[in-house]
Amino acid sequence: MDVQRYISSGIIESHAAGLVSESEAREVEAAIMQYPEVKAAADAVRVDMERYVQIWAVKPPAGLRKQLMERLNEKEEEVTVPVQEEAVEEEEEPRSLMPQIPVLKMWQYGAAAAILLLIISSIMNFVFVSRIDEYKNKNTKLSEEQEALSVEKNAFSERYQQAQKEMDMMKDPAFKWVKMQGVNKHTGIVATVCWNPQSKETFILAQELPATSEDKQYQLWAIVNGHPIDAGVFELGNMTKSLQKVKPVVNAQVFVVTLEKKGGSITPSLDQMFVAGKVAS
Amino acid sequence: MGTALTYTEAELVLGLKSRSEKHFGYLYDHYSPALFGVALKVINDETIAGDVLQEIFLKIWRSIERYDIDKGRLFTWMVNIARNTAIDTLRSKAYKQGLKIQELGSAIAMEQFVVHLAVDHLGLTKVIEQLNKEQRIIIDLAYYKGCTQEEISKILDIPLGTVKTRMRNAIIQLRTILKQL
Repeated sequence: MDVQRYISSGIIESHAAGLVSESEAREVEAAIMQYPEVKAAADAVRVDMERYVQIWAVKPPAGLRKQLMERLNEKEEEVTVPVQEEAVEEEEEPRSLMPQIPVLKMWQYGAAAAILLLIISSIMNFVFVSRIDEYKNKNTKLSEEQEALSVEKNAFSERYQQAQKEMDMMKDPAFKWVKMQGVNKHTGIVATVCWNPQSKETFILAQELPATSEDKQYQLWAIVNGHPIDAGVFELGNMTKSLQKVKPVVNAQVFVVTLEKKGGSITPSLDQMFVAGKVAS
Repeated sequence: MGTALTYTEAELVLGLKSRSEKHFGYLYDHYSPALFGVALKVINDETIAGDVLQEIFLKIWRSIERYDIDKGRLFTWMVNIARNTAIDTLRSKAYKQGLKIQELGSAIAMEQFVVHLAVDHLGLTKVIEQLNKEQRIIIDLAYYKGCTQEEISKILDIPLGTVKTRMRNAIIQLRTILKQL
């Protein structure tokens, strides 16, 4: 064996650090026995590891020593105690068994015991029946609560998926974000269109549009060469906080939002234009 | 601590083998910081490490009969008991919590391996910081976390074949640093 090569292979260090397999460990131990150079190297590494261990020495909590010393004693006592107990029981048992009782008395005791058992049993029945009702109520209540929780969970999960979708869109460079500013007398309001010219997918974020009356709804239009193309109506309320999907848009130079009758119109009422934004080319 | 007596290693072993609690107390006083350090490095939790330290000393007390002074130093034998006991606890705890060994590789876990000393006793922190992080991690993963070569190769993202040579380099570096002390 090439001892120098063996030493520089790193196996001795790996052995000292507990890194080698069992068969490798046996091999190293055999080499240590056989070659003094290997033994010297292994001893040196062992000393290194011991000093490394000493570096990290930390004084243990103060109470530990006492606890430990008590546990040493406990173990020794435990071994002797159970043996004694068993011996005592065996001696005492025969004495307490079967005192001399006349036959008649036995019968009376038996009847009394039977009646007693019957009474106890009736009481127990009553107790358990009332408990069953209680459990039934509890059970119904719990399943109701569980249902409510599950509804809540679904709502959260939807919200989460929605948020995730919005995040994905923000990251997707194919999406164009078109900010629509208020026009005419509607300055200060704003809505944003998020449009993917490749997939035609279109979303609207109604950040700040004034509330509408019951019979009216906002409608999005894509304007191409002066011709408005319907992109669908959308909601306000809770939905203003998230992106709402509208109709797919094939082409658009400008996006505008108008206020229309509920359900939308075929042509936009241009005097009811609220916001408009140019698509960056 | 209490006793001004000192024993040679042979006397200590002999006393322990004859179940002398006085010798055991002496053993505890002299070796518990080192062994507690081992448990703490493995477990990273002072309370659990304290429980483990008790187990370690009970094991030493119960298996001292099997210790053979010709086969190696008492300290080496005890450190190995300490490591094995602590690593067993770590593995069983990790197992119960459903942790996979791969998770040891996460960046957060990596940071945990580089345990910083609470007290800069003997001013060693600075010295030990001369070991670069990867060298410290390879020693700690093997010695204190009981990782296999395959696991270390995965965690440090180095080829399996170079784990042993990396270990050698790490310990050579450790030796150079220890010489300065």
